[in-house]
Amino acid sequence: MRGLFCRHIPDCPEFLLYPVAVIGCNPFPPMSNPFREDLVSRTRPEACTVVIFGATGDLAHRKLVPALYNLTVSGEMPPGVKIIGFARREKTDQEFRDGLEEINRKVSRTGHDDEIWKSFAPNIFYHQSEFTDADGYRRLAEKLDAIDRDRGGKGNRLFYIASAPEFFDDILTQLKAAGLNLAKDSCWSRVIVEKPFGTDLATAQHLNQVVNDTFHEKDTYRIDHYLGKETAQNLMVLRFANAIFEPLWNSRYIEQIQITCSENLGMEGGRGGYYDKSGALRDMVQNHLLQLLSLVAMEPPTDLSADGVRDEKVKVIRSLRKWDTPEKVLKNVVRAQYVKGSVDGKSVPGYREEDRVDPESMTESYVALRIMIDTWRWSGVPFYIRMGKQLPKKASEISVHFKSPPGVLFNALPTGVPGGNVLAIRIQPDEGISLRMVSKIPGTSLRLEPVKMDFQYSTSFGKASPEAYERLLLDAIAGDATLFARRDEVEEAWKFIDCIEHAWQQQETSMPMAEYVAGTWGPKEADDLLHEDGNSWRRL
Amino acid sequence: MDPELGQEVAVEGIHTALRQLWAQDEARTNACLINFAVYSEQPGSLRKNSEIVRVLTREHACRALLIEMDRGATQASIRAWITAHCHLSEGRKSVCCEQISFALTGVSRGRLRNTVFAHLSSDLPLILWWQGELSPIFEERLYSVIDRFVFDSADWENPSESFRLVDQAISESSHPLVIQDLAWTRSYHFRLAVASLFDDPLAQQQIGAIRLVEITCHPRHRNSALQLLAWLAVLAGWRTGLELHLAISKKHGNKQGFSFEQKNGAVVEATLTFDENSAPVGLLHIAGGSLDIKVDREKASTHIHMRLAMGDHVTDTLAPAGCDDCALLIGEQLARGGKNSLFLKILPMFREMLD
Repeated sequence: MRGLFCRHIPDCPEFLLYPVAVIGCNPFPPMSNPFREDLVSRTRPEACTVVIFGATGDLAHRKLVPALYNLTVSGEMPPGVKIIGFARREKTDQEFRDGLEEINRKVSRTGHDDEIWKSFAPNIFYHQSEFTDADGYRRLAEKLDAIDRDRGGKGNRLFYIASAPEFFDDILTQLKAAGLNLAKDSCWSRVIVEKPFGTDLATAQHLNQVVNDTFHEKDTYRIDHYLGKETAQNLMVLRFANAIFEPLWNSRYIEQIQITCSENLGMEGGRGGYYDKSGALRDMVQNHLLQLLSLVAMEPPTDLSADGVRDEKVKVIRSLRKWDTPEKVLKNVVRAQYVKGSVDGKSVPGYREEDRVDPESMTESYVALRIMIDTWRWSGVPFYIRMGKQLPKKASEISVHFKSPPGVLFNALPTGVPGGNVLAIRIQPDEGISLRMVSKIPGTSLRLEPVKMDFQYSTSFGKASPEAYERLLLDAIAGDATLFARRDEVEEAWKFIDCIEHAWQQQETSMPMAEYVAGTWGPKEADDLLHEDGNSWRRL
Repeated sequence: MDPELGQEVAVEGIHTALRQLWAQDEARTNACLINFAVYSEQPGSLRKNSEIVRVLTREHACRALLIEMDRGATQASIRAWITAHCHLSEGRKSVCCEQISFALTGVSRGRLRNTVFAHLSSDLPLILWWQGELSPIFEERLYSVIDRFVFDSADWENPSESFRLVDQAISESSHPLVIQDLAWTRSYHFRLAVASLFDDPLAQQQIGAIRLVEITCHPRHRNSALQLLAWLAVLAGWRTGLELHLAISKKHGNKQGFSFEQKNGAVVEATLTFDENSAPVGLLHIAGGSLDIKVDREKASTHIHMRLAMGDHVTDTLAPAGCDDCALLIGEQLARGGKNSLFLKILPMFREMLD
């Protein structure tokens, strides 16, 4: 086999040592697999080794490995995918596998199948090293080659940086030093970077520089798990595959758009340490909510390619009206912290009394913004965004509020017309879409009330949607970056966020920090923000 | 009241009775994405199919129309029942799907289309699952109202003739008729396994070197095995003996042999072995050059085993085998949708091998 495959490839020096299948120097021109025709309608994932940095953490145990397992169960994963967990703790391969199995039994979306796990687990390995230890990366390179040699592999690598953000630089630098960023012939080497992509524009630019010094931008996948959710993906389908919405999708027919992300949790489990340095604006708005906003507001892309879609998204972020003075920020942004209250019937402490939170903290646990997009399509339409902790329930949704029809016919009625149409796109929970319309109440008199047409993924399609991480991991393995943030998107989003953060920091004393009782829908100031425009927050 | 089929109603009162059914309980949600009709001429099929629909509606919200026809009866008659299959969605909401069952006797032209299909949920696609042999009921006026026609060719005594009728329906239908053979669905996980093994670029290089294909199947599932073989041959670009003016098929005991010609002129010998103890499709072995691929499944096993060997390079993988049960196979089909154009592509070669 060695001679057969390697004799024509003089520029592949390793051929003297290893068979081609092992070292991954594929000397043949790329072919397509004829047997893939019509079996799946997506880009084909290729066998690879997934290296997870921060493998002993929650994300790897509860999300990443179960996602890879579920992809295997559903037959989406190509044979020969291997996983290496990279972390600092001492562990054997078997201890690592046992820990993953224990969690997978509890969290796997498809359940845990012992037979499948038996064939899945031997492809999981553990590699102990400090993130800053150059020797650890050299040993990792050797291990990757050895695993490919022993278990067959083509040399494709996917590095998933799921560690704490302070190690991002070190990991990328060491990957480069060990040559792991370089793909072997006809193979690829990609990196997935978890949020946060920096803490402001400067750090984001620095991180992007380090990433791009190590990997090409086309091989860089900045993950935002919100974009892997079914409804977020459905946004483009809803807008561009249904003729009835797009003609109305502009300032002529839309009064306002609201994007809400509410959480009914506080700083449990020691989260306060990280959160108090970040806050709602940087933790959620900069990434998840601005990504959703750009999907809602973007122009139709020229095609569905990764750059086709991302080109349009970044135009939206660039068009966000920037607030260049603290006064403008004060007028359009409300920040707040929760005070002692009760959520789900349980008493909860105020934000400043939370574990690992500075008692004099000026970090916001709630933020509400009125955003204007300076484009022809959206001129004059406010986009209201709110995100908060310790709100009454967990919910993420986008609601599009259409203008009311001319009131010439029904305004004379004692009850009037009860509001305009609202298209609500629920991201979580109960992913789905509903449309509020006005209808006549049955009876001899003419009385109008809102009714709701509701579509729910769970009841309409029965089958559970794949977890966001399943879709995103599969896309990264298949080389499809459509649902990942590009460098310019991230940096443009930080430019917008930095205006607000700078205003807050400059005017620490005069810029108010509002309060809301835990378990309520946020501060009165956030309600006032909308009342100024004659609007109010949608009741969830 | 029939415990499985529900409340018997007059045919002209079905709509009213359905409205009353929903009015009884406001806590339930009526869900419907498709019209799903099941036709059978087998006595007792209504109850059996109602159980299948009960399982199916857990994942596929539909209005189910069950039809049992006794064409041998002298008197034409029609009876109808209505019920709803309800399931808790995510442990909270009770989601229900309507089911209307019809028992028809005697022959009355156009009755199936005019009476039964008057009860479709408007604007939603109609999927008709035809159970058993195709009968004279299957004619143009019927299939012109269907969007997707599902059948199981494993049930057919004379698949050559039945596939001729299906071909005719495709060409005569006034709108694109999607056809779906459950025998084809049964081979899906084998096809997926082969495709994933050939994702390996080195395996792809060996496609032209393939000389041997061996398939073991249960005798009842010969069509699944033949379709799998036709799929391999069509996608790999092999020519059949017919094109070469050679006999392509030879039968010997429990084996049947076929010959194909590779694009490079080399001959590929294919053998089907029928084994009563096999899973519907039990083994697919592809060999040639340095390539040796085996995909196998033990009878009743829920997994398939995939092995790719190229010299020293060997990978073994387990994958889900899918299901054999008709209800679950239908469910897989409904989940996948599509126009099934690949099946149409392999159909001519498959029919050639059937003859």
